[in-house]
Amino acid sequence: MSRTVKRADYFHLFAVAGILFLASSLNSYAADAAVQVQLDVNKAGPRAVESLTERGILRDYRFAWSSMAQALQFNTLDSLEGPFSGQARQWLRQTVTSQQQSGLSRRYSDQSHHLEAVFYAPEGDVIELHDTAQYHLQILDGDKTILDENVVVHYVVLMTPGADRWTIRQLQAVPQF
Amino acid sequence: MTRLLRICAATYLAAACVGVCAAQDLHIPESPAAGQEISISTSGSGKATFYLTGPGVSRKNDVPLGEDIHLAAQDLRNAGHYVAILCSDTCKSASFYVSAAKPLSLTFLVHPSRVPVALHDAISGVAFPFDQYHNLVLAPVNVNFQLNAKEASLFSRAVRTKNGVAWFRTPSGKSAGPLQVTAALDDVTARRAVQQVASDPCNLRITGQRTKTGILVQTEPVHDCAGNVLPDGTIVTFTATGPHGKGTVDAPIKQGVARAQMDSTGVAVISAASGVVMGNEIRVEARP
Repeated sequence: MSRTVKRADYFHLFAVAGILFLASSLNSYAADAAVQVQLDVNKAGPRAVESLTERGILRDYRFAWSSMAQALQFNTLDSLEGPFSGQARQWLRQTVTSQQQSGLSRRYSDQSHHLEAVFYAPEGDVIELHDTAQYHLQILDGDKTILDENVVVHYVVLMTPGADRWTIRQLQAVPQF
Repeated sequence: MTRLLRICAATYLAAACVGVCAAQDLHIPESPAAGQEISISTSGSGKATFYLTGPGVSRKNDVPLGEDIHLAAQDLRNAGHYVAILCSDTCKSASFYVSAAKPLSLTFLVHPSRVPVALHDAISGVAFPFDQYHNLVLAPVNVNFQLNAKEASLFSRAVRTKNGVAWFRTPSGKSAGPLQVTAALDDVTARRAVQQVASDPCNLRITGQRTKTGILVQTEPVHDCAGNVLPDGTIVTFTATGPHGKGTVDAPIKQGVARAQMDSTGVAVISAASGVVMGNEIRVEARP
């Protein structure tokens, strides 16, 4: 009897763990899929961007924006650790900390990014991208929406390759390229 | 009737007051630089809540309408897109951009750290100017690149940044030794070192003699074609071919010479190679 109960317990435990894992995977996939990214590498130089590199940058840039959106919506720091480094990570951390103190949050939705590679270092250790980003931005004070608009923002982006991914080191909005 | 008129007048005045109180607006100076203090002027009367959101900042405080809102240097340290929002009954917003301040540091990437001499397009450098708050300076500036070996200048070029980056690529020099690579922008200088080492060996020659335990083979001092001694640790592969087959020994160059002891009692033909360069062949007779 005791063994039967234990087996049933284990089954439930695994079932719950499985559902949680599936739900979290689907959730991160859904967040990731909501970020549309296009990359044009035709003007990159002096080094040409190979297709494998292009795919890696696309994947990691998309993930970085979904992570940033999550961090700034829920005011958590965890999701910033992987996809950002250097100055970009520092100001994002400052933003989250500042939002936690002021009670504000930002919601980025319907994201669409048109990326253009404008510089790829001779040794491939840094790439500069221009991102024309369109998204729906909501700024909330607690539950109250204080800004709700569609915006187009131009970003200058520096990405560097790590052991297994590209990370954003600089993400700087500019009025125009 | 009089009472009705009084109520109407009071209602009108209240509505007018709400209209005035809600007519808040804000005016932001154009393109402030990072770390610059600015004042945002507001119009209207009464009280409102002011919000500032941007990279690294999320601020909320109550302000009296009609007075200036002072933003400290600390609020605008990061270049980027900011949104100022003023809320009373309704919210009004204005967005603005903060640009980088003047350059105060250079991020300078140089490759490789060790390079063979006389190699085409072997050394490259990339420089990014940043301001004191680590914002990328996108306004074009001149970066002076210099390569110096001992007292001699190998390369000097001023490159104007485009999209916040300047770069160069150049051949390596002809002499082995340290090379100092410098990027300078006004008073800001970044230095890196590149070690130039000898290129592939030229005329790899070996000698050999039979000893009690086998054959001792060694190279003559190994140089590249420009006369630079090959660095210690460069591998020379000795191959001995005899009646019993083939044997191979790898030996590192030490003070210009590579040595190896090979086991062979019979006649042996010994050759040497380093990288893609082949040396001469020698024949060592069998032990008497």
